[in-house]
Amino acid sequence: MHVPDGILPLWLQALMFGISILFLGISVKMVNRKFDERVVPYMGVLAAVIFAAQLINFPIPPTSGHLVGATLLGVMLGPWAGMLVIALVLFVQALYGDGGLLTFGINFFNMGIVGVFVGWSFALLLFKGLKRLINDKKAVVFATAVAAFLSTVIAAFVLGLELLTVDGFGIEALFLITGIHGIIGIGEAILTTVILLYFVKAKPKLISFLKDSDTAEMAKIPTIPLTTEPLQEGV
Amino acid sequence: MEREQIVRFVIPAVVGIIILVSFIVLLGLASGNPDGFEWVLFDYAGVPEPEGGFEGIWSFLGEGPIVDVFTGAVGIIMVLIAGYALFWITSRKTEGGST
Repeated sequence: MHVPDGILPLWLQALMFGISILFLGISVKMVNRKFDERVVPYMGVLAAVIFAAQLINFPIPPTSGHLVGATLLGVMLGPWAGMLVIALVLFVQALYGDGGLLTFGINFFNMGIVGVFVGWSFALLLFKGLKRLINDKKAVVFATAVAAFLSTVIAAFVLGLELLTVDGFGIEALFLITGIHGIIGIGEAILTTVILLYFVKAKPKLISFLKDSDTAEMAKIPTIPLTTEPLQEGV
Repeated sequence: MEREQIVRFVIPAVVGIIILVSFIVLLGLASGNPDGFEWVLFDYAGVPEPEGGFEGIWSFLGEGPIVDVFTGAVGIIMVLIAGYALFWITSRKTEGGST
């Protein structure tokens, strides 16, 4: 899912770069406000785990796939820190020639913003429903697996929409890229489950959804007042 | 506390990750097929693959499993240190300080 340079139009790259910078800025601010220093050593390890996992492709003939890890990071660290880790991994991968330097914004938008937020949101919704039926640890593993699958498919669909700006890439290819990522998403869900199970057993405090988590505070989304009253008063 | 965590958790985890990745690469267990995105774009849709762009900081080493193991291990350590540094810098500014 790493888009190289020289495929997508410059205006789209510039737009996505702008959106990515905005989200990275918000992420840094949010993490800054709520960061717990005790989890610093694990951040590096999680980034290394995601980078290593993305080095290894599993076969889905005639193609292949690899773990993205966006949902896993969102569930463990929250969306803000999760996006920062994905950005770091994508930057080093771009230096390695995997994904372009100019397309960093597009890759971050697809795997960082869409991947993390969609995965985290679905996982949170599912987790809240499931924990009434089963214990928290089982609920977080199941919810994360399903959300990892969904976020992979949705991120691929978004990438397909972006690729519609490329000559020769049509609606049929959009459905195909989404369909293939339906299979890759199963691999993503399995690998996410394996890694999450390890952390559930070894370091449950690193999973923001669980009680007494060290990362729960920085995973919070600030409340945005939805009322329009102040605006009406102003008018 | 932090140093203890590094010795007890971080170092064994990273060594384990590097050994696992090296094992998979050297035994050829990873798939060499193009990933889903590349296959649909270049093989199915027939969009020409861009040439002559930046091929990565290690392109001068050539290709092969030994090179992949070396560059993979260096990358894992780079990401570990960068991740540690990024969040350490961030945590310095935390309201209320540390542990």
